[in-house]
Amino acid sequence: MKKLVALFLTLALTLTGVAALAEEFTVYLITMDLMDQHWVNVDAGAKAAVEELAKEGVKINYVWDAPTQGKNDAAQIESINNAFANNAQAILLASNGPDTQVATIEQYQKEGVKFIYVDSPANTEAFQTLATDNKAAGKLAGETMLNKLTEMGVAEGKIGIVNVNSSTTSTQLREEGFREAFKDTKFELLETQYGEGQVAASQTIAENYITQGVVGIFGCNEGSTTGTGNAIKESGKDVVGVGFDQSDAILQLVDGGALLATMAQNPYVMGYQGVLSAASILQGKEIVGDKNYDTGVTVVDKAYIAEKGLLTK
Amino acid sequence: MTDSVKKRNWFQRLFAVRGMGQVITVFFGLIALCVVFYLINPNFLSQRNVANLLRQIAPYLIIGIGQGYVLITGNIDLSIGSVIGMSTMISATLMTRGMDPWLATLVTMVPCLLTGLLNGFLVSACRLPPFIGTLGTMTIARGVAQLVNGNMNTDAIGRTAEGWRDFLYYGRTLGIYNTFWIALVIWLIFNFLLSRTRTGRHVYAIGSNVEASKLSGVNVNMTTIKAYLISAFCAGVVGLITCAQAGMGAMDAGTGYELFAVAASVIGGISTLGGQGILLGTVMGASVWGAMYNGLSLVGAPVAWRNIVVGIIVVLSVLIDVLVRSGTFNKARIRALFSKKI
Repeated sequence: MKKLVALFLTLALTLTGVAALAEEFTVYLITMDLMDQHWVNVDAGAKAAVEELAKEGVKINYVWDAPTQGKNDAAQIESINNAFANNAQAILLASNGPDTQVATIEQYQKEGVKFIYVDSPANTEAFQTLATDNKAAGKLAGETMLNKLTEMGVAEGKIGIVNVNSSTTSTQLREEGFREAFKDTKFELLETQYGEGQVAASQTIAENYITQGVVGIFGCNEGSTTGTGNAIKESGKDVVGVGFDQSDAILQLVDGGALLATMAQNPYVMGYQGVLSAASILQGKEIVGDKNYDTGVTVVDKAYIAEKGLLTK
Repeated sequence: MTDSVKKRNWFQRLFAVRGMGQVITVFFGLIALCVVFYLINPNFLSQRNVANLLRQIAPYLIIGIGQGYVLITGNIDLSIGSVIGMSTMISATLMTRGMDPWLATLVTMVPCLLTGLLNGFLVSACRLPPFIGTLGTMTIARGVAQLVNGNMNTDAIGRTAEGWRDFLYYGRTLGIYNTFWIALVIWLIFNFLLSRTRTGRHVYAIGSNVEASKLSGVNVNMTTIKAYLISAFCAGVVGLITCAQAGMGAMDAGTGYELFAVAASVIGGISTLGGQGILLGTVMGASVWGAMYNGLSLVGAPVAWRNIVVGIIVVLSVLIDVLVRSGTFNKARIRALFSKKI
């Protein structure tokens, strides 16, 4: 009997020990939707970090969630509510509406949830922001388009902008940077049209721009860019299209010549570094890297695709 | 009342209420759903998530009540989502311009109720098919939502509105979010109106048989208008809740909600053909709808599957109701169904 009790106690102790060693952190990634390849890449980076940390003995229960029916402020707040209800200790958030989530975020911060922004910050303090410097990247996009137009001998004309909506900070900043690049030129930048990041809606907008006789169109995110590229391809006109983000569809449009270039962000880095920082904070340590971490952009044009073999993979 | 009726026990009395059968079926379905989610992720029934879930259900319940009234009269209201957007945008715009939140609330309800009035007028007096009439007001109301702040979402409604935001969304009473209590009060009022008053009986009457109710002196036009007014009122309230939640106005708020309202109603046994169903059903329908989205999120179901599962649940719940009511589960009927020559 004694032996049995001893055995039982040993077993219990071992189990408690194992449980203590394998302390699990729950980390959520909440993006604007679950469809854009951009978010899929953030998720891939996050997953890679989770796997690496697991090898070091840091167990993370990682969950990726987002609104199910396209970009929607109210739905994203519910995603945050659900994450809290599911005992999330850290949340990597790509904020859809920077003002809308402030009250929710501050409420849960009081309850001890650690927030880190990826891609798009909300308008309240968090541990870290991992994002593209959108204004600089937008300006780079504008300069890329301007160089091509100059090379083509075009010095004036209308330019259209396809944006997501008026409340997404990241795409607003890109537009601001883009407009800045054309400040001292004769080009007329038309009123921005919003396609909610949807390909079909963006394509219609781009088609209308082409009908108006534009010389260039700028797409501010993945959906806008795909729509713009499709419209230019279909029209067969000599319109310079420059976009944002990277997906197979966009790469093919660039490779086929419908788009001049796309500004590829580094979503993988956002997810990867974000999870590393989250794990570090949850263990009572500092964040990894700068508080404002610029993940940078790459100008992906036809030559770059060929050089890196992006489409042959 | 005869003696035999009095002698029935509570269970029999419960079943004697028209429309209760479907409600009870859905109730057990809801329990089953909760058990499944709980087994996959125990956090589903944690205190945190129950509070969260009750708050998520509330807006579906409120618009479900409004749509329920309209469906029982044999019509449909497609303008609900746009009225939500309009309500959000108008209240937020007024508040960003410095108006007191409570005054803004009252002012906001005026255009919402006017939309309801217009819906009722178009469908009853002008005899427009409800689908077309409310499709028109749906588009108009969305336009108004875009117009009020010059085709821009509003800025944050500011610190002065914090009390108002807490009252509608962030605050708690007895440990449960206020949004739920608001939904409960609205339900109690409109359930009383529908089940205990003459107006309620008229709503059922015109949904069952317009001609017969006309002949027995029911004012069909007025009753239809009342139903649409209630629907617009409910949508207006959800718009305010949406504004309180976000702390700003978004032009696309409420998109698609009119169909969530239809789903909450029909899952709970309110017939789209009119004349049938009770508001207790809407409680069940909204709960199933809210629990589905919340539960599927908590168990980490892939996004595409979430929509598919929810769609299947809607179809199944209505299908079962239709089959049971038409007696298809009767053996002879099933045999007849398969031996029918085409």
